[in-house]
Amino acid sequence: MVKNKPIPVKVNLTPKEIRMVRKLLGREPTYVEWGMFDIMWSEHCSYKSSKPILKKLPTSSPKVLVGPGYDSGIVDVGDGMAVAFKVESHNHPSAIEPYNGAATGIGGIVRDILATGARPILLIDPLRFGKLETGRTKWLFRYVVKGIGDYGNCIGVPTVAGEVEFDESFETNCLVNVACYGLVRKDKIFLARFDKPGDILVLIGGATGRDGIHGVTFASKTISEESEEDRPAVQIGDPFTKKLLIEAVLEVLETGYVDGVKDLGGGGLTCTTSEMAAKGGTGVEIILDNLHVREEGMNPYELMLSESQERMLLAVNPEGLSKVLGVLEKYEIPYSIIGKVTDSGKLIVKFKDEIVASIPPKYLAEAPTIKRKAKKPLNLEKLWRIKKPKEPKNFSEILYKLVSTPNIACKEWVYQQYDHEVGVRTILKPGDSDAAVLRIIETGKAIAVKADCNSRHSYLDPFNGGAGALAEASRNVVCVGAEPLAYTDCCNFGNPEKPEVFWQFKRGVEGLAYMSRKLRIPCVGGNVSFYNEDSESKIAVKPSLVVVILGLIENLDGLVTAAHDCSKGGLAIALALMAIKGKLGVKVDLSKIPTSKPIRMDELLFSESHSRIILTTSTKENAKQILKIANKKGAPANLVGKVTDDDNFTLTFDGRKIVECSVTQMERFWKETIPKALEVR
Amino acid sequence: MTQTFIVEVIIENKPAARDPEGETIHKDLILKGGYENVKSVRTGKYLKFLVEAEDEKHAEKIVFDLCNALRIYNPVVHTHKILVKGG
Repeated sequence: MVKNKPIPVKVNLTPKEIRMVRKLLGREPTYVEWGMFDIMWSEHCSYKSSKPILKKLPTSSPKVLVGPGYDSGIVDVGDGMAVAFKVESHNHPSAIEPYNGAATGIGGIVRDILATGARPILLIDPLRFGKLETGRTKWLFRYVVKGIGDYGNCIGVPTVAGEVEFDESFETNCLVNVACYGLVRKDKIFLARFDKPGDILVLIGGATGRDGIHGVTFASKTISEESEEDRPAVQIGDPFTKKLLIEAVLEVLETGYVDGVKDLGGGGLTCTTSEMAAKGGTGVEIILDNLHVREEGMNPYELMLSESQERMLLAVNPEGLSKVLGVLEKYEIPYSIIGKVTDSGKLIVKFKDEIVASIPPKYLAEAPTIKRKAKKPLNLEKLWRIKKPKEPKNFSEILYKLVSTPNIACKEWVYQQYDHEVGVRTILKPGDSDAAVLRIIETGKAIAVKADCNSRHSYLDPFNGGAGALAEASRNVVCVGAEPLAYTDCCNFGNPEKPEVFWQFKRGVEGLAYMSRKLRIPCVGGNVSFYNEDSESKIAVKPSLVVVILGLIENLDGLVTAAHDCSKGGLAIALALMAIKGKLGVKVDLSKIPTSKPIRMDELLFSESHSRIILTTSTKENAKQILKIANKKGAPANLVGKVTDDDNFTLTFDGRKIVECSVTQMERFWKETIPKALEVR
Repeated sequence: MTQTFIVEVIIENKPAARDPEGETIHKDLILKGGYENVKSVRTGKYLKFLVEAEDEKHAEKIVFDLCNALRIYNPVVHTHKILVKGG
């Protein structure tokens, strides 16, 4: 038997995958081809573990224009307009270089939205860090927020919402998720595919360098000490070039001569060309000598795998090429003509008059899936049977303590660094309400957006955690008067090769799918980030299935003066936050709270049961009408108390005082926690 | 006996990493100003410390350690150079 030659480059494929590659091609691949398979069959690019599970999510509704499978989900918001939105994780780069890691995360997601033809109008950033006690966490927290602020502010896209969670499981692996929403006319939507042989390929934006080679294979491994030393150079964000790129791309698409467009992200040129050709059922020919490069002497392997930032690929109708290039020159956007769309059904790469790769694109784009084992973690039953603590005595003291915990405390320090008003669409800003609200100036309607996840719930019960994330996100947009239309999800988990981790993922997605069906809110896209695990301590992050939602407000008036859902810290915290934000007192009779069975006082106050909303309204008549509506819809509801024009936060039970706090005192604790921890102000 | 040393630290992005600031200065200022013979510009950060220490080596170590402990640069993206000048 003839032994296979050793592969001339380092690949991360399994022995089985290596055999498959050889069998598919029917020959020994070149080193460039090995690199291309390596990157495209990595977990990050191929979703090989997650794809079979993600299929369980419902993905269609009459409003969904583009669902999963493309870069962004696109949803009809009426009057000829559509919203494109997507979420992505940038966990691994941010964990080693928080400033540029977070900044380039935004850069990537903005390009994805841009590639649909949409103008990016808002950003959301769900963040997770270790306990706000160690120097490392403070460093990561500070610079991730600064990276988001600097980059978002420079490109003129407002950051309007987000969430921050602190938990020791995120100590080495912070989670930095970024979501972008864009607005596009329904008849001007672009898809990332090559449909027309003969189209000219124009690579635009940043020059190609050696940075970030194998960034995706890096994201498909756990962070180790080795990666401290030997890791790929992290990308440097360049927001001002990005701003020019946004304007140039939107103008280029207006010319009518662009047939396909996609950004270059993880997997670089290999990923973009193979996916676009596979979708269109066409072929591609690339001449690597033509690329505009930043470094001399780059070889074809490096050119095909580079993940240099700020690049996009256009498929241009040859008739309009000069017009398209004219626009690029006007904005001083560097470009190179790198090849063409063909009908060969092959991705052919040439370098110095030699063919260095020749692969049918779908071999690259459709990696074999892996059926991972899923096993319920052993300690879970134990955690479920944990004994309830003794009922505490002084609830006022507990309330003061709870408002001061970093997870509940005011996140003003974060969002004050973001420009949330640029673009003049913002109606409700971060901190104002449960979800952010932005005007669709073009139609007079508004959209409501929010991201939610409770990683502790997910850890204890992944199914209900996944379901709960969607329940909470939809509640939050409902609280500002919006109807939830669709969502996208960002799954952040540990190493999927561990059956316990894969079980968490599987159950999380199943829970999400369940809630999605029940609420009839479809999933239009998503992102999966695995390997968020410290290689030394073997601690995986708490499973974090983040739901990023889109709601539509047709009519901005209503009966309700304020609405807030009960989430972290339950009813007592929801009431406290409403009092703090309104700078008004509250008097509530807890015996009026609808419960399914008699429960302990601490549970009544702090239970995080889902699907509960506190409403306020201006008159008794309105309140009666609200109760009538709730009754008709079969939702338990009751009049529980009133807002008072003083500083007293009073909760009673049948006349017995349970909590008596000062609103200003609670506000002080709530506001000072994070600045204090970071030693600012 | 301690002496006072001047310790200079120069921090740059790694050679393989981009430097958007330098690129912009090069493209929009220098080349547009007609200095065609300038082939590239890299920016960086320069810090000058006055340090009391027993000797040069010790002075350098104090600054090196504090740069690491306080994350004045990030070895993942930056290179650093430390120069000590006599007391």
